Amino acid sequence: MYYTGISKEDWHCSLEKLLNTYDIFVPVKDEFSLDYEPFRPDQAEKIAYNTPKPATPLKNFFLPVRENVTSARAGSKPVIIIGVPNCDIEALLLLDEIYLDEVFADPWYRSRRNNTILVASDCYTVNDHCHCLSYGVKPWSMAHADMAILAEGDHLFLRVMSEKGKEIAEQLSGKYDVDDAAAISYEEKRHSETEELLTALNAGLPDYITTGEIIQKAGDEVWKKYAAKCVSCGACTTICPTCSCFLLIDKPDFEKVKQMDACQYPGFERVAGGEDALFELHRRFRNRYMCKYVWRPRKFNSLACTGCGRCIEACIGKINKNELFMELT
Amino acid sequence: MDSHTYNIYKPLRATLDEVIEESPLIRTFVLIPDEEFVFKTGQFIELSVDGVGEAPFTPSSSPLVTDRLEVTVMNTGYVTGIMHELKPGAVMGIRGPYGRGYPVSEFEGKEVLILGGGCGLAPIRSLLFTLEHMKDDLEKVILCYGSKTPADCIYKPLFSRLNSIDKFEAYRTVDITDDDWDGPVGVATILLDEVRVTVDNSVAVVCGPPIMMKFGTIRLLEMGYRDEQIYLSMEKNMSCGLGKCGHCMMGEFFVCKDGPVFTYNEIKHNPEVWT
Repeated sequence: MYYTGISKEDWHCSLEKLLNTYDIFVPVKDEFSLDYEPFRPDQAEKIAYNTPKPATPLKNFFLPVRENVTSARAGSKPVIIIGVPNCDIEALLLLDEIYLDEVFADPWYRSRRNNTILVASDCYTVNDHCHCLSYGVKPWSMAHADMAILAEGDHLFLRVMSEKGKEIAEQLSGKYDVDDAAAISYEEKRHSETEELLTALNAGLPDYITTGEIIQKAGDEVWKKYAAKCVSCGACTTICPTCSCFLLIDKPDFEKVKQMDACQYPGFERVAGGEDALFELHRRFRNRYMCKYVWRPRKFNSLACTGCGRCIEACIGKINKNELFMELT
Repeated sequence: MDSHTYNIYKPLRATLDEVIEESPLIRTFVLIPDEEFVFKTGQFIELSVDGVGEAPFTPSSSPLVTDRLEVTVMNTGYVTGIMHELKPGAVMGIRGPYGRGYPVSEFEGKEVLILGGGCGLAPIRSLLFTLEHMKDDLEKVILCYGSKTPADCIYKPLFSRLNSIDKFEAYRTVDITDDDWDGPVGVATILLDEVRVTVDNSVAVVCGPPIMMKFGTIRLLEMGYRDEQIYLSMEKNMSCGLGKCGHCMMGEFFVCKDGPVFTYNEIKHNPEVWT
């Protein structure tokens, strides 16, 4: 790992050149939202650095909402995704465990993973429902991404973390050497400020393991109480960076279309004989939390909730899972 | 197969060679796969009707036969309804085999007590073929099977054949009797009252509808079977078969990949096990 420096102007010029080889996505902020958009050199000033967090979870780049998984297709340019918050990078680790498993690797996921360069973004601020730190996830990435950005005024420090990151860094014109100690001192100041904000914001919120312990003991009454405002829309699973359940749809000539699905939808677990363990809405509602905090942790090494808080922001019933957990604490 | 070219979602084609009517609702499809198809008894496949859908089934044929595959299907939903209309010559799709089958090598030197109900006899028949092949290494094999009515019993000739094989015993019961039936009447578990089995040197295998799995397990525990001696073949909505899509989650387990065969010991901690 090492640091390099570049002015924003040179960075944007370099990205423009990289467009010949790569598809580049950047976090763009407008009056409505912050989300990834294809990089456009004439709109580079709209890129929001070190700001949490793109509305779209990172998983959407690797697991499209709908795709044909049996037909060969033309290869695409390699992709650079810029401005990825660490909650999403940590979430990708669980998807890697599921989709790149030794026995049944998903060829489409694998090809996109290999074809993508992740440029992380250290969060300098927090959103209302950010709670990564409560689950042991730092609001910055020191591994699992290829590079990370730390903006300081009109300049950027780039933390280069992998070979792929190094390849990109070497193609940047106008980059200059920086003293690693100075970069580290700057990032440590930023990191501790964000940590303080997160700690204050989430006082009293149980950690990941404790959450699993308390929800296992929760009776139906609490699930029914919170599920009373749930309409099974599946927004929470759609927006979740670790939810990745899907449906296979058959098409003529034995083609299969894979479409993202959600345990919140009626019939998700129904078998042909009619039995449906998740028939009642509060059972489906509970299923999602049991999956994230109890079942996935028993089976996988990576977190199934990284505290991004998007499910709270997306819920049309204004259900706040953290209020539920605090009530159970 | 090269892991970089192998597509986990792509089915192998198989031609339907014969359709055998087993009962009013159950048919066996005899398939000739385009390539040799190897599976272990108790593993399952995803069988698809072109452009319609696919569903999980455990082959009912012997794993020793790799050029033909038999799949016994109850007409119980959308896909199985269309399967029942298929005629010989139709081309179907097979994905798999998936999951963990019966650990038959662990049955060596033991008595095997099998409790089956309804269409649950399909995976059991495949297991019985395997056990027959290894009967020199087994003490005894006892099949207790229940169907709703005498007409609903599948593989009827199987019972007399099993009773003619050394070390094998097969018993039947029905929930609802008719004029021609002179055997036991009641759920499959009543047959367990009559069998002579050395519990300590035995394993029990249960496969059938959820209600039978539950009460069968309870009865076996009463008989003195330990949790790890009871093998359950769990039924869930196995969709991808790859441990990914989430439809067959049973607690932390993907039934499709971690199962479908579990010992009761492996899953008893999970309150979801019988739901």
